[in-house]
Parts: sequence; structure tokens; C-alpha cells
Amino acid sequence: MDVSLSAQHIVKRYGGVVALADGNLNVASGEVVALLGANGSGKSTLSKIITGVVSPNEGSLLIDGRPTTLSSPQIAKKLGITAVYQELSLIPDMTVSENIWLTHEPLRGKSLIKNREVRARTQELLNLFSGTFKSLAPDIPVKMLPPDERQIVEILKALSTQPRLIILDEATASLDTQQVNRLFDLVADWKSRGMAIVFVSHRMEEIFRVADRATVLRSGRSVGDIPMSDATRESLVELMIEGASTPRNIAIDSVKSDAPVRLSVEKLTTSVLKNIAFELRDGELLGLGGLHGQGQSDLLLTLFGDIPHTGKIILSQKPVNFTHPRQAMDNQVAFVPGDRATEGLLLIRSILENLQLPSWANFGTPLNINRARAESQNTAQSLNVVMASLDAPVSSLSGGNAQKIVIGKWMSRNPKLLLLNDPTKGVDVGAKGEFYNLLAQLQQQGTAILFYSSDDDELLGLCNRVLVLHDGEITAELSGGDLTHANLVSASMGTQQENNV
Amino acid sequence: MNQSSLQSFLRRNPYLFTLLLLVVAIFFNFQFQDNLFEANVVNRNMRVLLPTMLLTVGQAIVIIGGGIDLSVGTMVSMINAILVTRILPDSTSSEIALGFFLACGTGILAGMFNGLCVAYLRLQPVVTTYATSFVFSGIALAILPRPAGQIPRPLTDFYRNPQLGIPTAVYIIILLLIFWVLLRSTRYGQFLFATGSKANAAYTTGVPVVRIRFSTYVWSGLFAAFAAIALTLLSGSGDPRLGDDMTLPTIVAVVLGGTRLSGGQGGIAGPLMGVAILTVIGNIISFANIDSWYQDLVNALIIIIALAGPGIVRLIRRLIGR
Repeated sequence: MDVSLSAQHIVKRYGGVVALADGNLNVASGEVVALLGANGSGKSTLSKIITGVVSPNEGSLLIDGRPTTLSSPQIAKKLGITAVYQELSLIPDMTVSENIWLTHEPLRGKSLIKNREVRARTQELLNLFSGTFKSLAPDIPVKMLPPDERQIVEILKALSTQPRLIILDEATASLDTQQVNRLFDLVADWKSRGMAIVFVSHRMEEIFRVADRATVLRSGRSVGDIPMSDATRESLVELMIEGASTPRNIAIDSVKSDAPVRLSVEKLTTSVLKNIAFELRDGELLGLGGLHGQGQSDLLLTLFGDIPHTGKIILSQKPVNFTHPRQAMDNQVAFVPGDRATEGLLLIRSILENLQLPSWANFGTPLNINRARAESQNTAQSLNVVMASLDAPVSSLSGGNAQKIVIGKWMSRNPKLLLLNDPTKGVDVGAKGEFYNLLAQLQQQGTAILFYSSDDDELLGLCNRVLVLHDGEITAELSGGDLTHANLVSASMGTQQENNV
Repeated sequence: MNQSSLQSFLRRNPYLFTLLLLVVAIFFNFQFQDNLFEANVVNRNMRVLLPTMLLTVGQAIVIIGGGIDLSVGTMVSMINAILVTRILPDSTSSEIALGFFLACGTGILAGMFNGLCVAYLRLQPVVTTYATSFVFSGIALAILPRPAGQIPRPLTDFYRNPQLGIPTAVYIIILLLIFWVLLRSTRYGQFLFATGSKANAAYTTGVPVVRIRFSTYVWSGLFAAFAAIALTLLSGSGDPRLGDDMTLPTIVAVVLGGTRLSGGQGGIAGPLMGVAILTVIGNIISFANIDSWYQDLVNALIIIIALAGPGIVRLIRRLIGR
């Protein structure tokens, strides 16, 4: 049962992007190690490498002291390493017991599954969480279950392989308090039986409850490995941000407080968001911060009319209730999606076509191509797009230039409210600079901008004010002297520092 | 809540709707054809629908695994051409056995070719199998340029006549159901459904997704060989276009059987009933003196309704205030 795992100097590159520059992690039997880090610090990459889902470019992995290559999840599983994934790995059409035992069903002879045993052992596993769920049963298809119960199935599925090392990657995110408590009781039990546990969570309070040790990642490097007994919230946050590059301040005039309110939101609630309220003035660049998936994208999409909601949205002094993005567009709202390739661009079509896609209606029938061409040329020039010609496909552009096209297609419509969903992800530094200048220019023209970024430095450097979201709620509003990296990170982790308004 | 309890009842008994449809269709058929339940008529219907049933089992496995096979019909033509050129009226029993063996081998090879393209080369299943269907059709025409050949009488009689008073097809259908129950209770069966339902989640869990996809097309090829053998024994002769029109009915039957075209759900009992429904609809059309091309129209409409169903439901939901 004794196990030890040591990941040493792991490097992982995706194309030109370095996800992990020097990842180190040590964990042994009877130990709970918390893996900590801000957005994009490489936590998920490191846990995927340990479970064989992703293979590293460099570095070594020692399991029980022996160098090991994990080329697939199956091999990791054979060695007793398994993970509870955040993005669920369950098969929706299959039942709870089928899902839990998939790939390691108890067999009679060589191939026949012992159905009765499968069901009985599933029930035993479910009993571990008994009393904390409503509908869970061995024969219910997983697609009928609510998110928290799916997460329980995911945990039991990992447990059913009788792992020696288990990685809990944000496993508590969708569980309620009672379920989390039960999970922590189980973790204590696993620990006493010699299992090794890696705990990835964005809830500081939970880390202090279960972890023995914390490994901190910052920009793809392990920067600290400290026993929890020596750690404080402040010291961990400090480690996560220490020495991070200084904010790239772009001088942006602070908003005139008498500028008209462009957008006002009250009690906005969806399946993800809870009671969101804020105001956004013309010429203001309002940041949305927090860890990934805390409701930022949902907020932007809700404002763009793509997600049904309750609560009040007042745009340009008029209450609105968009049920389709078209209506938002007609009210001069523009949305720049996070995933350029799938949501923002028609990759194989020309730059001209992409730029004019939302505006073809302005060019008559038959289309006045020459005028469209002239206008596109202007837009491209004002954005400094480096391109062969307007007729080149968008796929021939670099990431930064492609991103300019996504914004460029809204420019000619003169949006009054611009919604940006993590627009600089995977964009190189030079192109980011140009993009920031573009934002400054738009802001000068009085465009109200709501800007979600997973890059904390960007928010610190560009925004006058940042709203931090956690579990679908605004947990902090940072501005002026409060807008510091430490405050931003600790608000992202949901810690209760009284620095919010 | 009433609606959801109905839904869960239907989920536990997915073939119920198909069975109901079958009963209704048989009822109408009986109105036009009052000798429907006489032994020789039953036998004739059973032996006609068995080849399509065999072919549909293969199609159902591919569709459950998340693919589709548009080449099954011409596979039957190709294997029929091989059978009638190998088995002659004066063939010895060992030559006949060799012919059947070759038929199965050809089916498996053809299926492996499809599987290789779809699973390992990651080509789009619809386009790939549509293309390979022309390859198989070409091979059929090369082997047997025009209808010809004759299968020994004892063989065809064995297939066409009832055994111990029960149509031969019934025995084979029972074997198919046993095959399915066995397959469903193996690890392979779990992997098949997992792959068709959500391939990337299955991969993360450690299911050999690519191998499973490949295997579904091999099954399809093997069942195409079985179907070709049954059809050849039924017709007693060869025709390089014999099976070409069987592809669409197999897909319609799968859909009628309550198996979702996007995979990961269903079984074969439903699709087998689906084949029976199609045969009965064919009977109604011919006995009601309706032009026979209506059969194709009905087939096509069933598929379109099945494909459009979820979309229409969503559209209605959207229109009835979100």
C-alpha cells in the first residue's frame, strides 16, 4: 500500500505557450498535499501529468522511487494513481453503477460482468455518503442526477479503483457543506490507511482543514513547499503572487464620475450567478476577476442575451430583457468571445468577410463590395492588422491579429457597451500591448467596457475598478488603493479579508 | 411530475413504443390481408425479413458506438456475388462450407477497411462509408457483371421451409437475442455504450475508444456477411445489385427501434421490431394497391421525423416562453 510520488522539474509546452516551466510535487502515503496557485499557474497541467492524461516534455516522474513514464490514464490507473476530475468524466447515458465500475467491472470468468456484485458494491460505496444526497441509486442514469450527486459519483468512481494515490481536483466545487464534511471524514480515513492525497482547491478554508502540506505554483514553477502548521493565509497568498511581474500600467484617465451610467444591474440571478449588482459608466473599463469559471463568462453572456435570468438590467437608462443576442446587438452591445477559433471567427473565410459579418445589412442588395472593402481597409488600418490582404483567410493571421479582427468587426457598429471575455488568452506580448492601446482608445471615445480577464496583471494594469467573482457572487469590489495583487488573489480564493466595499 | 413518471417508464422500457407501433401496423396489415396469420404466410414474411434483420444488428452496433455505416447494402451485394460464383449447383459440401467461410471473411475484411478509415484515420463516418459503398459495389460488378448463378436446391429449401414447424428465421432471431444479451453483459458491451455516449469521458476513464470504434465496423461487416448468406439462400441466385437498397431500411429500423442516431443508447430488440414494422408497412402498401415507391417515401419520412424530433421540441419550448 505504501506509495510515494515525486514529480521533478516537469516542463509542459502547448505550442509556444509554456504551461509548466518547473513543476515539482512530492507526496507520500498518509499525507494530504494541497496544490495551490493563481490562475494559469499550471495546477491542472501538473495534475494531468501525474494521472497520465497529458505527457510532459521534460522532467522526471518517480513512482515508489522508480522513474516511470505514464503514457495513458490506463497505465496510471494500474499503478494505483487516479483523479477526481472537475470537468466530469462520467458517461451521461450509463447508470451510476455502470459508470463507477467502467473498465474495472468485477468479472465472472474472462468477460461476463457480475451484475449483482456490481450493484452491491456500488451500494456499499454510496453508503459512504449516505444521508447527504437525495436521488442517488445504483441504477439511475447519471444524466438524471444534479451536479453535486454527479460529483459524488465521480469521487466514488475514483475510489472504486482502490487507488494508492488520489488527486481531488476542485472536487468540492459543486458539493454542499454536508457533503464536503463527509468527504473530509473520508479523506482522514484514507490517510490513516496509507493513501496519498493531492488536494487542489480554490477554497482556502478547506485547504487549512485537510492539508498537511502545501505546494505552491506560480507561473508554472513550484515556488514553495511548506507544512500547513507553518502557513498562514497571508503567507500562502504572498507565495502565490510574490515577485510576479509589475502591472503594465497604461495611463488611462480615471472616469469622470459625472459620466452617464451606461449599464446598471440589480439582483441579477441565473443558474450560476447570485444577486449580481453593479454600475458601469461611459468611458469606464470595469474588470471582472476571480478564478476560472466563477460565473464571469455567464455574466457577460447574460448581458448579451444568451442566458435567461431574473433581476434588472438597465441599459442606457432603459430596462431591457434581451432573449437573443441579436437584440443586444441592435442596442449597441458587442461581445468578444473567449475562444476566438470556435466562437469569434470564421477561420477559413477572408478577413473582409469576418470584419463585415455583423454589418452586411448596411451594404444593400446586391452588396456594395467596394464600399465594404474600403471600410474594412480603414478598420484594419486603424487596428494595425498585419495581413497579406483583405482576402487572406483569417487562419493565416497570428493570434494577436486574429483577436483584432474579432474586435474590428464590432468597431464599425460603434458599440456603446463592449463585453470582453478573456480576450488576450494565448496572445503574445507584443499583440497584447497593441490590444491594450485599442482598449484605451475605445475608452477615450466613451465606450463602456466590461472586461473579464484570467490574467490578474492585466486587470491591475488596465482597470479602474475590478469586481471579483467567487461561486457566482461578487465577493469584492476593488478600486483605488485597494486594487492590489494581494487583495485580488485573496478575494479570488474566497478568503474573508475585509477589504471589500 | 406526471410527465416525468411517464418518461421514466418509457426509459425503462424503450421498446414499448416500437412494440405498440408494430401491433398497430400488423392490425392494419390484417385488414388488407386476412390470411396474414396462416402458417405459410408467416413463414414467407419471416424468411423475407431475416436478411434485413441480420444487417440491422450490425448497423445498430455501429450506431450505438457513435458511428454509422452506409456501406452495408453494397457489402451484401458484393458477398452475394462471391457466394454465387463459389457455390454452384453441383458443389460438394466442403466447397459450400468454403463459400460461407469466404463470405464471412470478406465481410470482416470490408468492415476492417471501414473501421480503419473511421477509427484510426479519423475520417467522417458518413462520407467514408458512403465512399466505400461504391468500392464494394464496384467489386460486386467486377465479380458478377450481370445477374446469374444458382444455389443448390437443398440449401435454399433448408432456409425457405420451416424447421420442426417453426420458420428458420425464428431460430436465428433467438440466437441474435442471446448474442445481444451476452454482449450486453460483457465489459466490451459497457465500452461500446460508453464510447457512443461520450467518447472523451470514456477515454479519460481508460476505455480503448479507438479500438471499440474499429470493432463496431467489423461487427457490421460480419453481420453483412450473414445477411448476404440469408439473402442468397432466399433468392437462390446472384445479382450484383441485390443488397444495394437495404442500407436505408437498416437505419430506419434502428431509429424505429428507439436507438438514438447519435449513439450511446438502445439495443437490438427494438431495431429487430423496426425491421418487422417496415416489412408490414411494405405489405400494407402492396395490398392496398399503393405505388411501391411510397415505401421509400415512408422510410425517408421516418428518418427525417426522427432526426428533426428533438429540434422541433426545442423550437416549441423556445417559442412557449423560455
